[in-house]
Formats: sequence, structure tokens, C-alpha cells
Amino acid sequence: MPRPQPRTITFTIDGRDVSAPENTMLIDAARQGDVEIPAFCYEPKLGQPVGACRMCLVEVEGIPKLQTGCSTPVKDGMVVYTQGERVKSAQQAVVEFLLLNHPLDCPVCDKGGECPLQDITFGWGGGISRFIEPKRHFVKPLELSPLIAIDRERCILCYRCVRFSQEISEDYQLVLLERGAHSYVATFDGHPYVAPFSGNIVELCPVGALTSRPYRFRARPWDIEGAGSVCTLCPAQCNVTVTVRDERALRVLARENGEVDDGWLCDKGRFAYQSFHVDERITEPLLRDGGRLRPVSWERALQQAAAGLARAGASTGAIAGDHSTNEEGLILARLMREALGSPHIDSRRASSLPLELHRALGAPGLQAKVSDLEFAHAVLILAADPVNDAPILDLRLRKGVRRHGLTLAVASPAPSSLDENAATTVRHAPGAGAIFAAALSAALTDDEDAARLARDAGAEPEAVRELAALLRGPVDDVPDTGETPPREVVILWGERLAAGPNGEAGIRALLKIAEALGMGGVEGAGLLEVPATSNGRGLREAGALPNAGPGLSEPASAGRDTRAIAEGLLDGELAALYLLHCDPLRDLPDSELWGRALASAGTVVAHAAFLTEGIREHATVVFPAEVYAEKEGTIVHPDGRIQRLRPAIAHPGSVRSEWQVLAELAGRVGFDLDLLSGAMASRQLFESVPFYAGLTLEEIGGRGVRWQEREAAASFPTPAGVTSAAGKLEITDTPADALELAGFRSVWDAPEVEFSPALGFLFPHRELA
Amino acid sequence: MSDTPRPHDPPTEGSATLKVTGWSPGEDVIEVQRSPAPGAAHGAWRTFRETARGLRTTMARIAEGPSTIQYPEEKVPVYPRFRGRHKLHRFEDTGGTGSDPARAGLEKCVGCSLCAAACPADCIRVVAAENTPENRVSAGERYAAVYEINLSRCIFCGYCEIACPFDAITMGHDYELSDYDRSDLIFTKEMLLAEPLERTPLRNEGE
Ligand code: SF4
Ligand code: SF4
Ligand code: SF4
Ligand code: SF4
Ligand code: FES
Repeated sequence: MPRPQPRTITFTIDGRDVSAPENTMLIDAARQGDVEIPAFCYEPKLGQPVGACRMCLVEVEGIPKLQTGCSTPVKDGMVVYTQGERVKSAQQAVVEFLLLNHPLDCPVCDKGGECPLQDITFGWGGGISRFIEPKRHFVKPLELSPLIAIDRERCILCYRCVRFSQEISEDYQLVLLERGAHSYVATFDGHPYVAPFSGNIVELCPVGALTSRPYRFRARPWDIEGAGSVCTLCPAQCNVTVTVRDERALRVLARENGEVDDGWLCDKGRFAYQSFHVDERITEPLLRDGGRLRPVSWERALQQAAAGLARAGASTGAIAGDHSTNEEGLILARLMREALGSPHIDSRRASSLPLELHRALGAPGLQAKVSDLEFAHAVLILAADPVNDAPILDLRLRKGVRRHGLTLAVASPAPSSLDENAATTVRHAPGAGAIFAAALSAALTDDEDAARLARDAGAEPEAVRELAALLRGPVDDVPDTGETPPREVVILWGERLAAGPNGEAGIRALLKIAEALGMGGVEGAGLLEVPATSNGRGLREAGALPNAGPGLSEPASAGRDTRAIAEGLLDGELAALYLLHCDPLRDLPDSELWGRALASAGTVVAHAAFLTEGIREHATVVFPAEVYAEKEGTIVHPDGRIQRLRPAIAHPGSVRSEWQVLAELAGRVGFDLDLLSGAMASRQLFESVPFYAGLTLEEIGGRGVRWQEREAAASFPTPAGVTSAAGKLEITDTPADALELAGFRSVWDAPEVEFSPALGFLFPHRELA
Repeated sequence: MSDTPRPHDPPTEGSATLKVTGWSPGEDVIEVQRSPAPGAAHGAWRTFRETARGLRTTMARIAEGPSTIQYPEEKVPVYPRFRGRHKLHRFEDTGGTGSDPARAGLEKCVGCSLCAAACPADCIRVVAAENTPENRVSAGERYAAVYEINLSRCIFCGYCEIACPFDAITMGHDYELSDYDRSDLIFTKEMLLAEPLERTPLRNEGE
């Protein structure tokens, strides 16, 4: 449903007139007038308040009893007191009651120093305890999961964690058992609480009842600093604060940004920081010598890499992968195109798309924001599985369905975690996403091919027709009062739609669907891509594409795409390969082809943080790569939000910045990139992409800016009439005896998960070789 | 401003005070020692008188005998509340009320870092870790895996002692803390737990 537009009202609090949106809870409204009402259980992110802790009692004129500020909506003319005797004594009594059974073992409690219970007891409590009886005891601490420890004595029964599990992540695992003073938080039957978002309850718990096992006892709030950055471990790019002590990352906390993550993090984002400081991390340059990689000096590594690249010259291929920033993409493209004269650079996994399609997909009028997923009338998930591709979007969709009446439709080859929330679910054959998109576009345009295409895609023609009707929306429930507001439909599509022989047709079908649903230029509607790599969009816009330069401009000459690079290496037309944060054996489809291609490559230069198979077996020179908490630069969220990475921790060992290494290599092959600092790289990016023009790092700041909302967006090369010109879609039929399996890599299948000691148990072990 | 010039006011041209000394000590000074009036006899007498006065003190002390303390063989006793080098403590099994034989020998410090928070010189570093049944170091859930005090920075204020909820750290009496190397002044947990080699003598009550 579209966003509500609340009315502003005026009420009186402690004798002051304050304006606030109508029906916000008193506790939030009071804040507008700089009045703080203490609270434990209230957390707006969790949805409806429950009024469990009674800490927020206030006096409202005309109501005889004290009211809970967290669940009393503010009305025009309300008169509220928060400082009176009655309120004060109620607050003191609530604190005293909460502390009756509280162990008060602050010195050994991990929350000490950042504990709301300490703060509120200090600020609003009575200061003395009259309770001399023995306290209630539980066994402590216990493992709630391999990641979370629970201390039930400290729990104040605020229900936050249980509400998170029941209403936000909807994994329904946490419950409160027993009654009264004996209530405790548990999972059914004592199973470990393992879920993709479980770590959030640690941050939610207002006391030290739930603590992170990897962070347990590592530091106190006065030992640490918080450094804001952006997680690049998946395309959702959640904003995070890295807790730093002695130049090491000890914890990652959410840094709420309503337009990106809504204040949540997935467990990968929250716990994979451990992999920054493990022994497996590569911290010095390695050179292959006698078949084995051995540590060498930077000078030697740079010299060998430069020699290899100079030898190969124009027959060098380059692939930019996960975690590469826009700047790195741009500099790598410049190194390839300008210094080596080779156009063979790619950052995508699927075969290359015509430039006009990239432009059509990126057109500013067709982009949906993350918050649109929540407030749209309908969302279709196509060729994507949020919890495995960009986990945090899964929570956003659940919120839309639960709180804003969103109609969700899922089209996927396998059961997805959102099926239960979807109004309709359509299954199609594996690898047939593109044909399914064609079928849906045909159904939306009432093409007679619809039924045939649906059958080709392995879906029920009837289901596809129903899905089309659902996306178009009810025709007659809006009373005809002239202006009908446009229907807001968002399609969340995965980049793997463009994979396979029908990839291009799939993208054309997607654009046709967008046109048929009238998405262009409608606020709140549009396409939202889930790229295959975390900064997929940014790398494309920075020009890490075989057929596009910076800003999706026409390149001087077109090069090979990822697959063609492998083929080029195999048939000897390419001699060297440059891998920026990419291990082809892990990250790219067809690892068998890549295995042979890498083996026949003359020089393989790789930037890698971990020695994964492909790097270990085939790289000639390995430069130690930075992790995101060490990087400086910008990345682009799938919805076009340019976000800034700031270094939070120091480089371990002799790790150097990627831009520095790339610039140095360019210098050694005889080309000056004119780069002396990370900020200069960003400036070069903003200058070379026309629709980022005029951007500065200061403007991006901590929240990021969507380039579509800036004036320079007008210079985006939006193509005219891609879809209508396309006419009928060309679909290649899968041979009847072939079974096509769609391959994709889940975000949980990553070295960061594998090498984090606490998170390793979540690493999916592949069964298919 | 009144008419009487105040002591530090610049002298006014032609005023009465200026003519006398050039500097007036102000009204609340009862007596001013002025240098002797010019003249040779006056000066000689004054030199003789002052030397004799000094010699009287010297003679009187010679009669008392030497009072040198032979440091470092001999040490000045300190008062019981003297704040010297810190000590970390272990639980002892005293057999008295409140003593728990199960805890005897365990470190009192739980690594809570409250001392580090209280320290105004920021010279305490605590890195805590979790006790396990196999490796129990302290009586609580956590213990200090690293406990360091940089004594070259410490100002011996005793705030750490006050902050500690378990009386795990107290200010000892040792004051001999010079060294040839600054880094040797970073005292580790083992050094702070160990008994000092030599005890600093304490002053008795009323001494
Ligand atoms: S939850 Fe807060 S009040 Fe309770 S023991 Fe921990 S730090 Fe102290
Ligand atoms: S464990 Fe924490 S979040 Fe959960 S109910 Fe208890 S106090 Fe609240
Ligand atoms: S005595 Fe004062 S300065 Fe020295 S360690 Fe303790 S708190 Fe710090
Ligand atoms: S000495 Fe006391 S205050 Fe310092 S860490 Fe140990 S228990 Fe805490
Ligand atoms: S915050 Fe209002 S009852 Fe808990």
C-alpha cells in the first residue's frame, strides 16, 4: 500500500506545546519536544508495541490511571506530564521490580557500560534496594546457538527477542516458556536458535541476557571506537558500524538506514568480520615459484606482475568480482584499456548484454528503491531468492506483507523462504527464468503465445495468467473519481535472469513487463535488481564491462565477456588474466571450463584475501587484498544509492590498497594513471561517469545518495524504445533430452563465512562437484 | 578609585609615596625588612651577626650526631595509606567466615575493566577472556587474560583501587620504581600478582 501521509497535531508535554504527526506513540512524539521517556520493550523497528515492561508510564490529563507512553497514540490537544510525583514513584517502582530478580553482575556482564538497564536505573531508579530475599536462579550462561549466549537471570522479559523471531524474521523459533518469575526465553525443545538473522536479537536485547559469543568479553565500551562503513558481503550493502579495538574489528553493529537495511543485519554481515583476522588471510604478496606460492617482497611481486602484463599486452583479460569498489572497477578498466590496450574486461557472470539493454535497465525512471518493496501494491520476485542473494531484503518484504498489506508474488524454480508470505507462488523449471519472463510478458500483453511459453518454462499457463492479473491489479475496486493513483508494482529480479542462452530474451521480456505494467516514471514502482556480485551495479556504471566505458558510454572497441575470456585463454588468444577479488573456480559458472582456462593461462595476477582453490592452484602472482573494513572508496547499491566505504581498521601485514597496486602496475607498464590517493580515485570516477557529475565524498556522507535523485541523472543515456523495437522475443528451446540446471551462488557460500571460526558452521557444503 | 594609591599602581608623578621608597608595601603589612642603610660599618656588623646565627644552628646539630638514612640499605617507612605500586590479589583460604576453600587461589580480578575506565592517566589495559571448567582463573565468568599497568604513566591516584568491585587491585607500598628501560615499567598481571621481593617498611601508628 502507498505510504501513509499523517497529519501534524499539537499536544502539550510538561507544559510545552509540541507538534508531532498524529497517532505516533507518545514516547516518539515526546522526543520532538526533547522530553525523554524511559523504555525497555518499545522498539519501533519491531512494529506494534506490546507494553510489557511498564517503564514508560506517563500521566495523561483526563485519564485516571497512568498510561504507557509506548502504546498511547498522541492526539490533538493531549496534555501529558512526565515529571510529576506519581510518574516518578511509578518509574522507581518499575525499576525496583525489574531488579528484584536481576543478578546485577555488571562487572562480568558483557552489556556493562552500554546497558539500558544500568542507564535507566541510574537515571530513573530509586537508588536503593529493599529486597533481601534470595533471588531466582537459572543455569548460566548457556548457548542459545553457536553464535549467541543466553543468561536467563538477566532477562527482564521485554519480549523483544521473541517478537523479532515471531514478527520480523518470522522463523518462529524463540518463545517464552513458563509463567511469572519463572518465565524464560527458549527455543522449542532446546534446539539451537539457528536462523539467517539470529544475531539481531543480541543488539535488540536491552540487557546482557543475550550476548554475542564471538564478542563475549572482548572489550568494554570505553576500550573501543565505532567506525561507520558499509558491508560489501552481499548486494544489499547494509550500513554497519565496526567496533574497533587495537586496530582489529571485534564486532559489527547495524547502522540504521531506512532506505537500505531498516536497522537489521544478517548473520553473515554481523559475524563474518572474524575472517578479517584469521591466519588463512593472505597478508603479503605471493609468487609462484617451482609450482608453489611463496611469499615475496612487494617489489618482486609488482615487477613480475608488470612483466607478465606487459608481455601479454592487448591479450590480457580482466575480471572484477565481489567487493571491488567503483574506483577499483574504473582503474582496472583504465589499466586494461589505456595502459595495456586490451578491451577484455568484465564484471558480470552471464554472457554480455547489448549496451542498449544495460542502459534501458539502468534508466533512472525505471528504478525502484528498497523502501518501495515495503509500500508497493505488489512485488514480484523473479529469478531471485532474497534470503540467499541479498538477505536483508527478505526482512523488508516480510515487513511489507505483515504491516503494509503488500501483495507478494514469487516466481521461482525451487521453494523459497517467502512462499508462505506470498499471495501467489508460481514454480517454473530450473534455468527457465528467462522463458518464464517471456511467458509473463506475453500474458500481460495478451499475446496468444503465453500458454505455449508458460509450458516451455515448465509453469502452469493458468498460474501465469493469474500472476499477470494479480500484477495488473483489481480493475474495478477503485471508484471512478477521475484521477486514479497509478498502481505501484515493483519487480525484484536477480541478475541470473540474464544467464543462459535466453538471457537477452529474458531481459527484453522484463523490460516489456515493466512497460506493460506502466512502471516508467511512476514514483514507488519500478525494477530492483539483485546483482550477482555485491557491487555489480557500481562496476557496470564505472565501465567494467566488455561493451561499455564509464557511465555506460560507447567504448572504443568491444571486448570479450567473462566466458569469452575463458575461451580466449583456452585457445591461446589471451595470454594473461587479471583477477580482482574473483576466484573463477568459486565465483563463475562452468568451473570445469575455467579450470582448463586457468591452467593454460600464461600469467594470472590475482588480488585475493584468501587462498581459495583457483587462486591456490593457478595464480602466478597474488597480491594480498583488502577487506571492506580496510577499503576506501564508493560502491553502488542496486537501487542506485552511492555509498561510501571508509577504512575502519588498519591493513594487516603488508597489505596495500587495491587502487595503489593498480596504479603502480599501470606505471610499470608505462602509463601514468595520475593517482596519488584514494580520494583522487573517487574524483576520477565522479568526473568520468556523466550521471555522477559534481558528486563529492562529502555529499555521499554516511547515508549515501541515490544518483537518480540528483540533477546530473538527466545525463543518463536512456535509450528510446528498446522494448517496442524488439518485437517478438527470440527464445531458444532447450533440447528435449537436456536438463538445464540454473546455477547460482548463495551469499552464505563465501570464504568470509568459511573462514570465520564462529560462522563456519553455516558454510554450505556443496554436494555436486 | 580612592585617592590612596594601591601597592602596585604605577607611582604618580609628585605623589608623597614616590618620594619615600618608590614602593609602598600596602596598608596591611605591619613591618618591612629593609636593606641596611648605606655605610661600611653597618654592613660589616650585619655580616658578622648573620654568620654567628648560622653557626649556632650548626653547632647544635653536631651535638645531635648524624641523622643520614643509608638508602637503599635502609628505607624510610611509609604510612599505611601510602599509595605505591599496585598489587593484584588472589582469594585466600583463611578458614574464617566468608572464606571459601573452593575459591582459594583463584584471582580476584574478573577482567571487568572498571579500573581502566576510572584511570585518569589511561594506563591500565585489560583484555578479558572467558573461564572454562578446564581453565578456571578467576571466580567469575570472565578473567583478565591481559592485565597491564604502565607505571611510567600512573599518577598513583588510587582511583583504580576505588573502582574495583572485587578489591582485586589495591595500592601497595613499594615506591622503588626506577628502571633503565621505559618498557620495563609496564607491569604485567604476573608481576602484579607476585609478592614484592622486598617489603617496604611501614610506619607504626602515631609514628
Ligand atoms: S544487564 Fe545491565 S544491569 Fe544487568 S548485569 Fe548486565 S550490565 Fe548489569
Ligand atoms: S532475552 Fe533480552 S530481549 Fe529477550 S525478553 Fe529477555 S531481556 Fe528482552
Ligand atoms: S593509580 Fe590512578 S593513574 Fe595509576 S593506574 Fe590507578 S587509576 Fe590509573
Ligand atoms: S582489577 Fe578490579 S576493576 Fe580492574 S578489571 Fe580486575 S576486577 Fe575489574
Ligand atoms: S516501553 Fe512501554 S511498556 Fe515497555
